[in-house]
Amino acid sequence: MHTNGTSWRLQCTINGQPIDTEVEQDETLLFFLRDRLGLTGTKGSCLEGECGSCTVIVDGQAVNSCLVLCPQMQGRTVETIEGLANGDKLHVLQEKFLASGAAQCGYCTPGLIMAAKALLDENPNPSEQQFFEGMEGNICRCTGYAAICEAIRSAAREWK
Amino acid sequence: MFFQPRHVDEALEIRGRMGSDVTPLGGGTDIVVTINKTSMRPKHFLDLTHLPDYTHVVRDNGNWVLSAGATFSQLGKLPMKALAAAAMTVGGAAIRNTGTIAGNLGTASPAGDGCVALMAIDAEVELTHATRGRRTIPIHEYFTGFRRTALLADELITGVRLRTDWRTAWYKIGKRGSINISLVCAAFGMSPEGGVRMAYGCVAPIVMRTRLAEEIIEKDGLTDAAIEAAAQSVMKEVAPIDDHRASANYRRAMCGVLARRLLRELRIKNTG
Repeated sequence: MHTNGTSWRLQCTINGQPIDTEVEQDETLLFFLRDRLGLTGTKGSCLEGECGSCTVIVDGQAVNSCLVLCPQMQGRTVETIEGLANGDKLHVLQEKFLASGAAQCGYCTPGLIMAAKALLDENPNPSEQQFFEGMEGNICRCTGYAAICEAIRSAAREWK
Repeated sequence: MFFQPRHVDEALEIRGRMGSDVTPLGGGTDIVVTINKTSMRPKHFLDLTHLPDYTHVVRDNGNWVLSAGATFSQLGKLPMKALAAAAMTVGGAAIRNTGTIAGNLGTASPAGDGCVALMAIDAEVELTHATRGRRTIPIHEYFTGFRRTALLADELITGVRLRTDWRTAWYKIGKRGSINISLVCAAFGMSPEGGVRMAYGCVAPIVMRTRLAEEIIEKDGLTDAAIEAAAQSVMKEVAPIDDHRASANYRRAMCGVLARRLLRELRIKNTG
């Protein structure tokens, strides 16, 4: 399988919706989500895998969408922050972030929530070490981390 | 062109035909950073992430066999202490989920934590060509210069083999535990036959072993006097530079500290 020229016919699933569209071979998943699909919940900041604001879930694993080229998503299943709520019903992580006041500017929040979802989907009862290993790639520059950790832990207690 | 082969033979054929005109792509955690930050655009990509068995890690006859696409998350679960600990200091979870051992070897940074760990256990790197077949070279012959390796432009890194029965130790000095490039890192290994490997990252243009120090320990064992002599030797053998992360003098001193710490750890602990 290969491209003609530098475009690629991408077929994948994003938030449960089948995608079938042309992408550029060196276009990152981050800007495809934001600029082509209008899914601007996923943020970009450092563009080198240090901040975690672009975190999405691909086939069940947390991934930095700024470091993935679109054609690599062929046949994959992508979840973004927009896919979490069920209509008006927020996901438990979203509810707990609100309840704990775990956001100030909010820029890091979608990435934090997706990293936390990947962590808890794999292991709803992480040890202290597993918790930090799962979350250490996501940086917040304004709240401090206490409220964020509290939100994730209280979501874990209600994890289904 | 963007190639996304579904069979390894197809991947090898493309690489064999196109050589350095095509950029092999694994997790993308190095290459896509370059795309994001510079005007560099590879003309042709060879995406290896859809190959079958690309991420396999299997045990075979006293060896661990890592497929090229084994991720740092996978390596972090191996019962090989230095490699697992090194893997868990790479990036955050999202980087570890995509970054691969072949990518670490391909980038061949002197700060490549995974490369340092492999150097401490005499890993072997499998380099494969479409028609010439597979050759296996010892890791200490793999790195040939700053970001230069024995990989030929028409070959792919297809796997890494390492023995399961070495005792190992690891320590990374950095400003944080992860998401953080090492200032100095070290991985030491001892084979059941008494062979000693002392590997360092960030203290030379390539990941290096301090062979004179290794010989001291192999000859005299892990006595206090031998450990101190080895630490002194290490500080002479390494060739660190000053840069924005640390001074050469600091790095050199830390190499001695790590020699003492890790050799004592190997002396105390019987497993791992």
